[in-house]
Amino acid sequence: MNRVLRTQWAPLLAATIIAGVVLSFSTKQFGSSFNVYTILQTASVYAVIGLSQMMVLAVADMSLAVGGIASLVTIATGNLYQVQHWPIGAAIAGSLALGLVCGLLNGVIIAMTKLSGFIVTLATGTAFTGIAYGITSSIPYSNIASVLTTLGQGRAAFFSYLVLPAIAMTLAVGAGFRWLPIGRSLLAVGGNRDAAVLSGLSQKRAIVTAHAVSGLLAAIAAVLYIGVLQSATPATGSDWLIISFAVPIIGGTALVGGEAPASGCFVAAIVLSAINDALIVLNVNTEAVQMAEGLLIFAAVIAGKLGQNVRTGTRRSRRPSTGPGRLGQIAQDSATPGLGMP
Amino acid sequence: MAAGAAIEGQIDAAAPIPRLLTNAVERVREGLGTQTSAIGLIFLITITWTAFGIAGSGFLGSYNLYSIGQLAARDAVLGMAQAMLIVVARMNLAVGSIGAVCTSMLGYLLVSAGVPLWLAFLLVAAVGVLAALLMGAVELMTGLSSFIVTLAFLSAYAGGALLFTGGQQYQINSSLITRLGNGTLFSSAICPLVAVAVVCGVVCWLLYNRNSLGWKMLAVGANERAARASGVNVSRVVLAAYALSGLLCAVATVMNASYELNVNAGFGSDWLLPSFIAAVLGGVALTGGEISVTGILLAALFFDSLQSGLTIINVPSYWIELPEGLVLLVAVLLDRARRARRRTMRPRSLAGTPAPEPDPVAAQ
Repeated sequence: MNRVLRTQWAPLLAATIIAGVVLSFSTKQFGSSFNVYTILQTASVYAVIGLSQMMVLAVADMSLAVGGIASLVTIATGNLYQVQHWPIGAAIAGSLALGLVCGLLNGVIIAMTKLSGFIVTLATGTAFTGIAYGITSSIPYSNIASVLTTLGQGRAAFFSYLVLPAIAMTLAVGAGFRWLPIGRSLLAVGGNRDAAVLSGLSQKRAIVTAHAVSGLLAAIAAVLYIGVLQSATPATGSDWLIISFAVPIIGGTALVGGEAPASGCFVAAIVLSAINDALIVLNVNTEAVQMAEGLLIFAAVIAGKLGQNVRTGTRRSRRPSTGPGRLGQIAQDSATPGLGMP
Repeated sequence: MAAGAAIEGQIDAAAPIPRLLTNAVERVREGLGTQTSAIGLIFLITITWTAFGIAGSGFLGSYNLYSIGQLAARDAVLGMAQAMLIVVARMNLAVGSIGAVCTSMLGYLLVSAGVPLWLAFLLVAAVGVLAALLMGAVELMTGLSSFIVTLAFLSAYAGGALLFTGGQQYQINSSLITRLGNGTLFSSAICPLVAVAVVCGVVCWLLYNRNSLGWKMLAVGANERAARASGVNVSRVVLAAYALSGLLCAVATVMNASYELNVNAGFGSDWLLPSFIAAVLGGVALTGGEISVTGILLAALFFDSLQSGLTIINVPSYWIELPEGLVLLVAVLLDRARRARRRTMRPRSLAGTPAPEPDPVAAQ
């Protein structure tokens, strides 16, 4: 319990739940089971998008190609099912493999050239999207398999079926980082490249693995989103950039690498989705929602920084300090960087 | 190191003439090294123009060259806006969003508020500078990476601009602006915007080659800690870089509005990629500390020639996005290869005497 309270997203989640309860009393619409279903449906896709970015953030890299891979995978699924008449299982498997290959390609280019992931994935992401638009002549595929529809639109009262794959992915990624040797080595490389390399871990392997799994997760998010949208369009992924960073960062993923709180991603996805929904229910402009996303990233990153300082501060002084003493602690911590770090 | 110097001396003494020769060759090659991006780009532009001139009818016609210049001028200024921050080892993901804010401001001031033109330009420039300065201040105060700060502001500014205008279209009716974007200069193939881009380029060149602020920016980008240790006020230099980047975004906004004329807050959403392509293809090192203004101007010209050529030879518009990504990828890889080659040469010039290794032939 203590561990949960200490996580970065705990205060955010608490605030969201309180706001949600208040909102559901003030506007009937917000608490309705259909609205909660919508929140969960969006949150599930957000969570997988966030996990995809978190994989690369864990090795202190980044991917701007999450949306590009999603666009290409969406088209592949639609094309294989509707045009090539593959059974839906094979079409999905083929598209997921394509996502994996795209991620692998990013990873290999970055590992070989030692360039920053930023510029490489900016280029490849645009190229992937370009291929998707080119193949389809920007016409979406409208024939969607019933399995995807059931998954994307199905619900039991407020419980969207999409939550199941999202939780499965979260658990799988969390378990991979905790128990698999490769997962631990990703965190080691992300946390301190030099130390990891000196202790015999391969930096190249870590980067390639992170990008490949990231590509696979982006592909999974894309396939899930086809069912939500009821259309396989190359426009999928065009607005995923901010979300892909907002979700892991709000969930407590460090930008400097070495951390991968998968559960944080899931919580952050729900928080973001709920906030978006609340703003819409309250009839705030959609533009304000976009602004809110940007400001939320800040709030999360700054809260994370302060939280880290406060946490390390309490650990040293062995008592939770509040009020002016707490501010003094922060000032002291930021004045002596390095001391506060474990 | 001492042992290396001893060996160096031995080899120098043993074979002075071939050493001097290779040294001279290296000197020439290194001198070219800083210019390869410009020479390579002129070569690329020549090939593009020749190929499309033969393959597509009307590519070299004055109408098409005019529209290439129109677009390339704006992209070059965007590249410079991006380069301002790349030079200090940062990046500006919000070029397009600052563009959206400035576009909304320009439209509002000229159409809704009816402000005189000079005042509108001044205010738009001020808005661009302030929007960028705010990002810089946040970066310096929080110590976060410029990537995450400008990403957050990308979202906030784009949303803010839409919120401010409510999605309204502004029809700009100013004869000066219309002449700027649709008039001609010297010949019917040159848009006046080209002159604007060249002036911006000259100012940037003077900044980096003749001004202490520019040198300090290069120093901060090359090694921030060393710059601070040698007395450079890093915060002030970084803020100046942000401000200049914002100012160039505002200039790009006016350029864009001058040929689009019918503007809204959605403008700028697709500026990120051209800004990076112009800067990176132009030879600006992503790690900071290097600039090539000529390279940026030529890169923008090449990029927009390629885009226009593909349209001329009837490549469907939905295939246009793919070459954009590929051009950036190839540019980055070429830049990487060039730097790797130059790094193997560097010890020679720094040591003053030729080092025995690496072999200049093997280094190619």
